Amino acid sequence: MNEILLDARQVEKQFGGIRALASVDVQQAVGETLGMIGPNGSGKTTFVNVVSGHLSIDAGSISFAGAPISGRRPHAITRAGLTRTYQAVRVFSKLTVADNLRTTALAAGREEGVKDSHVRELIHWLELDRRLDAIAGMLTLFEQRRLELAMRLALRPKLVMLDEPVGGLSAVEITHMMKLLGELKTRYSLFVIEHTMRVIRELADRVVVLVSGQKIADGRPEEILRDERVVRNYLGSQGA
Amino acid sequence: MNRMRASKDMWLWISGAALVIGLALATAGNRFAAFIIGIVFLNVLWTAGMNLLYGYTGLVSMMTAGVAGIGAYGTVKLFLDYGWSFWFAVPVSAVGAAAVGVILGLPALRLRGFYFVLSSLVIQVALTLVFIYFPQFTNGDTGITQIPRPGLWLPGFGAVDLTGPGFEIILGLLALAGVAVVYMIIRSRMGAFIIAIREDDLLAEELGIDVTRYKVMVFFISSLLMAVGGAFYAVYTGFISPRSFDVLMSMNIWLMVAFGGRGTIAGPIIGSAILVPIPFLLQELYQIKDIFYGSLIILVTVAMPAGVYGTILKWWRVRRQKQNTAVAPVAIKRMPAE
Repeated sequence: MNEILLDARQVEKQFGGIRALASVDVQQAVGETLGMIGPNGSGKTTFVNVVSGHLSIDAGSISFAGAPISGRRPHAITRAGLTRTYQAVRVFSKLTVADNLRTTALAAGREEGVKDSHVRELIHWLELDRRLDAIAGMLTLFEQRRLELAMRLALRPKLVMLDEPVGGLSAVEITHMMKLLGELKTRYSLFVIEHTMRVIRELADRVVVLVSGQKIADGRPEEILRDERVVRNYLGSQGA
Repeated sequence: MNRMRASKDMWLWISGAALVIGLALATAGNRFAAFIIGIVFLNVLWTAGMNLLYGYTGLVSMMTAGVAGIGAYGTVKLFLDYGWSFWFAVPVSAVGAAAVGVILGLPALRLRGFYFVLSSLVIQVALTLVFIYFPQFTNGDTGITQIPRPGLWLPGFGAVDLTGPGFEIILGLLALAGVAVVYMIIRSRMGAFIIAIREDDLLAEELGIDVTRYKVMVFFISSLLMAVGGAFYAVYTGFISPRSFDVLMSMNIWLMVAFGGRGTIAGPIIGSAILVPIPFLLQELYQIKDIFYGSLIILVTVAMPAGVYGTILKWWRVRRQKQNTAVAPVAIKRMPAE
């Protein structure tokens, strides 16, 4: 295994009487694409929320790039190189595409904003060139997903955590997004939460399965998708 | 391009300065009109601070009048009781008031939306009570009367008379400076960040923006403008009391920003210029004055939710937007090198 990038050990999170994460261990290597699957309410998004600093942990520890990040605020974790997307796409919906990207570029210390060469390349790659003056909230969902991705990549992250990146997209759009993610995978470490097994099968190097806040499996996608406990608890006929 | 903008901006500020000086001189023969102009200028300064807080950062603070009050009482105390120069007392009081404002507002800054409004309202009420129940500093409910106007000595001009239009000119230039401060902030990196905070503070934080730090900075700068306005109000009107800086004043300043167009540079100026003179001009029609004032506000907020200038700006942007709505084709290109 390459150098460890994300190291979550014995992570616990409780909401009142509900145990959202129960002693979860997740390690991810540099350059690896890690998939996380599980039924709704199994704790996948909660895991991303505790790693990205949006929620505190009750017990355990989380390290990123060799430094502890549990207890740090989200902006500090982002600056450390960890970025994330959301299930419901999150962009500044009342601002233009250009202003969304300008703000992100400035936050990343790129004073040239959308004129920055890396940001311009992202705009071109994600086909946002002709939508720069459009209000982000007026874009199609797929365009918003691409904008969301452009904003996160403008931060030059070490790890991109994608929460259901193809959620709500049509079959054609999923194919396009898969191609984008496939290219992304060659340059970034990715952490992907998805219900669409095709995405996990084609993208993930390794898969972690959560059920009721507990990790029940961890391994290569082909093994995981055949694992009897995973099929019984989550996949049903989908994994076959 | 930047040089072109800088040159355009410079001409804009020079025109603004010429306008305020012209307005002050044009009304010099009519002290009633001059006084209204002076109060409009003060409100432009206050609304600039409120616009930074509410219009650009999305924080509706109801304690702005209280902060202006601290600036006013502090300046008057140093000026009259301790014999400080007014021009030295103002910055000292304003920085003190802004610091007190930030310390009091710090817990509230961690809150969002309605809860922030409520907390700031409680702080405002508490400040009003302090102004009433600490008469050794504020002279209580009676207030402080006959506050003299300060003297001013300018190299090359000698002693400048501030009883005539001179003071209105100072107030006008002060208002212009306040608007310029907000304008420069909005055009800077900080401006992009506070607008991001207004739109979605969780996303802003996620993008690496230290939301709490920027909220505190905005709160400090806004409080500074409020406090400076409070100090000049005291010597301009010659009288201050707890009623001068009560919650109604906070609401009025907020209203002027909302009425003119929050989150725009010109909006609060328009809001102040329209709403401030109404109570003065309708003094003789006191039976219908408040009805007219209220009706105008309701009419504008219903017909123009973005305010007078905000609506004009929105209309212009939508028109420009319609000319550029072609949907981009989706074709996958090579990913850029990191």
